[in-house]
Amino acid sequence: MQRVEDPRLLAGRGRFVDDVAFPGMLHAAFVRSPHAHARIVSVDASAALAVDGVLAVYTAKDVDWLAPLVSSGPMRDDVCVQSRTPLAASTARHVGDPVAVVVARSPYLAEDGRDLVDVEWDALPPVVDPLQALEPDSPLVDEELGTNNICHAEQSAGDVDAAFADADYVTSIRFHSGRSTAAPIEGRGVVAEYEDRGGGRYNIYSSTQMPHLLRMFIAPVLGVPAGRVTIKAPDVGGAFGLKCTVFPEDIVIPAVARLSGHPVKWIEDRWENLAAGVHSKDMVCTMEIAAKADGTMTAFRGRFVTDSGAYSSVPFSPLVDSQVAGVYLSSCYDVQNVAYSIDNPLTNKCQIGAVRGVGWVPGQLAREVAIDRLARTMGKDPVELRLQNMIGPEVYTTPFGQTYDGGSYAAALEQARDAVDYAEFRQRQLRAREDGRYLGVGFSPFVEPTGWASASAAAGGMPIPFFDTASVTVETDGSVTVTTGLHSDGQGHETTLAQVTADELGVAMDSVRIVYGDTDSSVFGMGTYASRSAVLGFGSIRESAGQVRDRLTRIAASLLEADPSDIDLVDGVARVKGVPDKSVPLQQIALFGYFGGTARPDDIQRDGLTATAGYDPGETYANGCAAAVVEVDVETGLVTIEQLAAVEDCGVVLNPTIVKGQVAGAIANGIGIALLEELAYEDNGEFISGNLINYLYPSTTEVPSLTLHSIETPSAVSAGGVKGVGEAGTIAAPAAIVNAITDALSPFGITIEKTPVTPEYLRQLLRAADHDRNKLVGA
Amino acid sequence: MDSRLGSVAVEIIVNGEKRAAVAEPRMLLSDFLRHGLGLTGTHVGCEQGVCGACTVLIDGQPARSCLTFAVQVEGAQVETVEGMAKAGELSDIQQAYRSAHGLQCGFCTPGFLASTQALLQENPDPTDEQIREYLSGNVCRCTGYQGIVAAVRSAADARKASSHGS
Ligand code: FES
Ligand code: FES
Repeated sequence: MQRVEDPRLLAGRGRFVDDVAFPGMLHAAFVRSPHAHARIVSVDASAALAVDGVLAVYTAKDVDWLAPLVSSGPMRDDVCVQSRTPLAASTARHVGDPVAVVVARSPYLAEDGRDLVDVEWDALPPVVDPLQALEPDSPLVDEELGTNNICHAEQSAGDVDAAFADADYVTSIRFHSGRSTAAPIEGRGVVAEYEDRGGGRYNIYSSTQMPHLLRMFIAPVLGVPAGRVTIKAPDVGGAFGLKCTVFPEDIVIPAVARLSGHPVKWIEDRWENLAAGVHSKDMVCTMEIAAKADGTMTAFRGRFVTDSGAYSSVPFSPLVDSQVAGVYLSSCYDVQNVAYSIDNPLTNKCQIGAVRGVGWVPGQLAREVAIDRLARTMGKDPVELRLQNMIGPEVYTTPFGQTYDGGSYAAALEQARDAVDYAEFRQRQLRAREDGRYLGVGFSPFVEPTGWASASAAAGGMPIPFFDTASVTVETDGSVTVTTGLHSDGQGHETTLAQVTADELGVAMDSVRIVYGDTDSSVFGMGTYASRSAVLGFGSIRESAGQVRDRLTRIAASLLEADPSDIDLVDGVARVKGVPDKSVPLQQIALFGYFGGTARPDDIQRDGLTATAGYDPGETYANGCAAAVVEVDVETGLVTIEQLAAVEDCGVVLNPTIVKGQVAGAIANGIGIALLEELAYEDNGEFISGNLINYLYPSTTEVPSLTLHSIETPSAVSAGGVKGVGEAGTIAAPAAIVNAITDALSPFGITIEKTPVTPEYLRQLLRAADHDRNKLVGA
Repeated sequence: MDSRLGSVAVEIIVNGEKRAAVAEPRMLLSDFLRHGLGLTGTHVGCEQGVCGACTVLIDGQPARSCLTFAVQVEGAQVETVEGMAKAGELSDIQQAYRSAHGLQCGFCTPGFLASTQALLQENPDPTDEQIREYLSGNVCRCTGYQGIVAAVRSAADARKASSHGS
C-alpha cells in the first residue's frame, strides 16, 4: 500500500518548521555557555547591538516575567522537583546552556550578533563523573536542590539474597552504556507570533511530536491559559523522542516574539542539536545473575546509574532511562527473585531525555551480555540457556507485577536462531578461525512495553495517566474527517489511521482525511512516543468510528426499511444482506444524517455524525529477538555486520510495510548505538562531539541488508490485538551485536564493558589480551 | 531575508527557469534556494557537509548546497527536488521511493533523490554494493536504508526494462 503522505514529501512540498514564514519575521540565535559550569558575571550586548539589523539581545532579566520551567518527573514522591529559568540567570550548567538570545533581521545577522555578545564568566568546578556526583563531598550541579541525585529508588521481589547464597554460579558484570542521542536529520525549531488580541495569544509552529502536551507545559510558563496558545507541527523531519521534550527554547522564542513585537524564528544548528537537546542511555550498569548447576537462572540483581546531565528533563526526567532499565529486569525470563536500584545523579552535561529505546537499551545490554557471560562460564550454549529459562507464550505476570499480554518469547528466539543458520554457523566459525578470521554470533531476545497508556506506565514505575482520543466525523457528502492528538513524524499515520478508519466505517481509504499536528483543530492527545500510536490510535478510532458506524447503519436501515442487523456497509454503500439491489450510498445516508429533521433517531438529531472517544488500554508488550553475525578484523578492530536478523512480534500488524520500516530504522539506530555513536565530554566537561564528523551516524555502508521476520501474537487486552513497534530494533540490536563481537573474539577471552564498541576500544582490549597471553607464555 | 555587506544579485537557472535574487557573498546556496527563491524542498540537516540532505545537482553534478555559496553558482544550472515531478506526476525515481517505502519523515529524501538521479545517470545498472557506496554520503535516520536501496534498485531495473522494450 502506498503512503498518503509520500507525494508531497517526494515533491519537496512538505511543510517543515523552517519552511514557515510570517511577514516581518525576525530570526533568533542563542548565546550559549562554552563552559560546563560557570557563574554569569555580566552580559555585555553593546557590540552586538551595534550591528545593523540586530534589533535586540535578551537575557534572563528581560524574561523574568516567565514562570520557571518545572520538572516534576513521573508523579512520584521520591523524585526531586527541579526548576529552571528558560535562560540561565546566574549559572550555566553545561556547554550549550542558553544564556541570552539575539534577535535580528536575518539568521546570518543573528549569528553575527551572537558572536559579539560578551559574557564574563566565573568558572566553577564541573561535575563530570556520575559516580563521583553521588559522593557526599561532590560539588552540587544545582545548589537549590541540595543533592545531585534526582532519585534513588530500589525495588525487589522474591528472596534475592537467598537465591545468590544458594547459587552454584554467580556472574557479575559491569557495563557502561554510552551516551547517544536521537539526532534526527531535522533539528529542533520554533516559529512564534504573538497577537495582541483576545488578551494576547501565541501562534507557534514547532517541530514537536506532542503538540498538546507542549502547549500544556509552556502556557503556564508564558503566563497564559492553554487556550491562548496554538501549537502547529505540520511535518516533522524525524524525532525519535528528542521532540517529546519541553525545551527552554520552546518558551524563549514565543516570549521574545512578544517582547520584540515581531514573529520570531529559531532553527537550531547541528552543534546545538548535539550539545543542547537531549542525550540518552548514558548509564553505568552492574548486573548479577545467580544460577543453579543445571542452568536454571534463579535471581537477577541490577544497579543502574544514569548520568543525568544538568537538568531533569520535562516531562519524563532521567527516570525514563534508569527506571525502565530496572523495572523490566526479568524481561522474557522466568526469574522470580529480582532486585534493582537506580540513581540519577546530575552532572554538568546535557540533560537526559526520552530517546528511542530509552533505558531499555542499557538494561537489555546489561542483562543479555551477562547471560552470555554466564553461558560461557558454564560451558553452555547461549541459545539453549536462554530457551531453558524463558517464560511461556501465555499471559504472564512478572515478579514486579507487569502483566504481559501473551507473546512468542521462545518462538522468536528460535526463529532468529534459524534465520542465521546457527548450527551451520558454528561450523563456519571454526573453519574461519583456522584462516585467522574471527566471526561471531549474538542473540538478544526482548520484551518491550508498547501501547504506553495509564496501566503500562504505572506498571513501569512511571505512574502518569496516559490516554488518547480521536474524533470521527462523517461529513455531509460522506467523506470522513478524523482528528487525533497523536503526531506523525515519519510513522505514516495519515496512511495507517486512514486505513483503520476506512475499515471500520466501510468506506474507501482515500475518502478519509487524518487531521493532526494542530492544537486548534485536533482533539487533545498525548502525542507520539514510546511506540504507543498504533495501539492508542487504533483503539480510539475504532471506538469513535464504531459509534458513527452504528448511526450510519441505523439511518440506512430506516431508509431501506430493513433491520439494522441486516445492513452491510462496504465501499461506501449500505446494502441489505442478501438483497443486492436494496442499497443506499453513504453520501445519501450522510445527508439524511444532517438534514433528515425529526425523521432521524434522537441521538443523531443531537450528535449528528460526529463521535469522539478516548482509549486507555491495558498493558501491551511487544517482543522479539535480534541475532547478529559479525566479523572482527583483529588487526584494525573494525567490526563488519555480516547479517542482522530480527524477529518482531508486535501483535496484529496494521500495515506490514510500515512495521518493517519501523523495525529497520530502529535497527539502524541500534547499530549506531552499538558501534558508532558517542557524545563525548572531556574531563573538564568540555563537549567534543558537536558535529556529524565526530558523532557518527550509520550510513548505507554500515547497515547491511536486514533479515526481517514477524510473528503475530494478538494482544490479549488491546483493541484488535494490536501492540506497537517503534523501538524494538533499537532495544534488541545493540546487545546482539556486542554478544556477537565477544563471541567472535572468544579465543582472546576479552570482556567488552561499554558501548560504542569502536575500533580503538577493541584494539585496546586486544592489545591487553595479547599482553596477558604473552605474560602467560613467558611464565 | 535581509542582507548586508555588499550584497549582489545572483542569477541562476533553477529547474530550467532563470531566477534571480539578492545575496550576500556569504549566503549559502541552501539558504538562497530556500529563503531567497522560496524553494523549500531542499533541506538542511547539518550545514557541516555530512548529512547530504541539502544535495542538489549543479550542472548535472551532485553537490552539497550547504557547502556552496550562492555567488559561486551564478549562471549555473541547478536542479532541485521541485523540478523532478513533471506536471504533478512523480518521476520514476520518486515513484520508486514511494513504492519501496524509501522514506518515512521525508526530510532526507530530496537529497537522496538528487544523489539517486546522479547515480543512475553515471551508472544506469549499479549493483547493490555500488548503490550503497554511492549513497553513503547521504544519511537517513528513519528508514535503515532498506527501502532506499530497494527503490534505487527498482528504478534502475525499470529503466533497463523499458529501454530493452523500446
Ligand atoms: S546540510 Fe549540507 S550536508 Fe548536511
Ligand atoms: S526519511 Fe526521515 S531521515 Fe530519511
